[in-house]
Amino acid sequence: MNLLKTIYNAIDKANSLIFYCDSKGEVLMCNKKFEDIVGMSKDLIVGSDCISIIYKRLRNSLSREQIFKAMLNDALKYKRPSSFEILIPDKKGEDRLIYWRINPILTKNKNLQGVLFMGDDNTSHREKEASLNNIDQTLKNIILNIKEYALYTINLDGNITYYGMGAEDMFGWKRSEIIFKHIKALHSYDDISYKLNFMLEQVKKTGRYELETYFIKKDGQSFPVSLTVTKFIDSAGDTTGYIFMAKDITERKKLEYQVFQSEKLAAMGQLVAGIAHEINNPAFVISGRTEILLKTKGLNKELRSGLKAINLQVDQIRRLVDRFLTFSRKSIPTTRELDINKIIRDVLPLLRYHKLPSNEIKINKVFAKNILKIRGDSHQLQEVFVNLFINAYQAMKEGGTLTIKTINKSNEYLLIFISDTGCGIPPLALKNLFLPFYSSKKEGTGLGLSICYNIIKNHSGSITVESQVGKGTTFIIKLPFVKKGDSNDL
Amino acid sequence: MIYKILVVDDESAVRELFEDLFKKEGYSVKTVATGEESLKLVEKEDFDAVLMDVKLTGITGLEALKKIKDLKPEIIVIMITGFGYDEELISKSKEYGSAGYIGKNVPISRIISSFNLFVKTAKEKNRRK
Repeated sequence: MNLLKTIYNAIDKANSLIFYCDSKGEVLMCNKKFEDIVGMSKDLIVGSDCISIIYKRLRNSLSREQIFKAMLNDALKYKRPSSFEILIPDKKGEDRLIYWRINPILTKNKNLQGVLFMGDDNTSHREKEASLNNIDQTLKNIILNIKEYALYTINLDGNITYYGMGAEDMFGWKRSEIIFKHIKALHSYDDISYKLNFMLEQVKKTGRYELETYFIKKDGQSFPVSLTVTKFIDSAGDTTGYIFMAKDITERKKLEYQVFQSEKLAAMGQLVAGIAHEINNPAFVISGRTEILLKTKGLNKELRSGLKAINLQVDQIRRLVDRFLTFSRKSIPTTRELDINKIIRDVLPLLRYHKLPSNEIKINKVFAKNILKIRGDSHQLQEVFVNLFINAYQAMKEGGTLTIKTINKSNEYLLIFISDTGCGIPPLALKNLFLPFYSSKKEGTGLGLSICYNIIKNHSGSITVESQVGKGTTFIIKLPFVKKGDSNDL
Repeated sequence: MIYKILVVDDESAVRELFEDLFKKEGYSVKTVATGEESLKLVEKEDFDAVLMDVKLTGITGLEALKKIKDLKPEIIVIMITGFGYDEELISKSKEYGSAGYIGKNVPISRIISSFNLFVKTAKEKNRRK
């Protein structure tokens, strides 16, 4: 008797919903938890139909009720245990997710005595899962909206399974154009399509593969990227796909290139200074010796003209060396406050002293009014403009327009645009434009633009170039304005 | 007036050239190849002027200039260089007391005339002192 009471007590206090019904579905007993959930007292529950107790004939629960009924009938008919998960309304009318185990209880003769229902309330688990789903959704949104990176994934067949907004921006291919296509379609013009198998092998082995490479956009433009490939792993540890994450590193490459460029220029400067010095000495001696000899009285005509020719050639060497030295010198400009408009106006008439192709060039001056002063060395800046104007003339063999524009940029710096409508500079030459000894002209030493570059750099400014073959070239010079409180003229 | 000049240059061809040039001008000329040698000679003999190359083997022309001026402040030292016009070298030379600075990139006749001018100006300056 005592044991029965203990068992009954245990059942009543169990955390599961428990009820027992007869072969018709009428409840014979239930525990406290069941009472709590359905919100009815024992005396009302016992003797009632279990399904009507649970669903209370709620309208919206008809299909659930039928499922419940079907499960019960199944248990009654086949007399075998089963389990199912279903939503039932609690006393407040809120859905609870209950995992039911149905245990038909049989007599010794295998006749059905009744059915024991035991239910676990799984509602809180499901809530957690739902919130996990929410996190997934949030992550998905974040990833979709990441624009700094192109994110895309492929499955084991190499087909693109995910393709984010960043990728759309980077490649120029719309999601609809590329999704579920093979990754080679995305990389049809770049190296990735050749490297793909190797890369994926590496990822399989080490979990990760990184490289810097060039991608080609839909419109054919190429740009540098840093690419990281990782893999999806399922719970068994098997690879199920690959994640590609690419970042456009154009800006970083530009900076690296500039640093590389200025380091290269500095190294070249030293080299050139050394060479110039070594050439200067013997040239100096040759020049001095011929000068002395030319002063000899009664020198015969043939010797005199020979010596003159030597002197002329040596002078040419010395002038060339002098150019090298100008290029390599890190001299601090002798600075004064300058009006760039005036410097440009002064330089233009000097052009006629240079051997320029005799073509029709229109000069279009768009000068900033109330131009702010910059601090600089007028001779050095003149040299910059002479060089750039000569280049412009030489680029416009068929004639054209040279536009010189100065702009005060927000009290910070002066912008000078020098544009021609000439032949333009091919991309490769554009890359090396400011390097010394790089010249596309037969008559050039390749020093002009590198001297310009150095001079502008010494003025704490910058010089850049934009060009289109067949359309023309624009040099853009940026020079800082004199700030109030700067030291006076030297 | 006849000047007594010391030429310091590590290239023998350059030394010989200056020797010939200055002798034609009527100067008395001595030449040495290093800064160290020039110091010894300046200590022993009196010169009106020294023409000193900037780039030398051993001590540099600038160092030799400084030491010579320490030794005999009245001596006129003119620097000459194959580096051409160089701000840093010019300001250093001035600081160490040189009377002038000539680049080897100008015609010989101008080097001589510059040299003469520098010596003349420095002499007058010394006299006024």
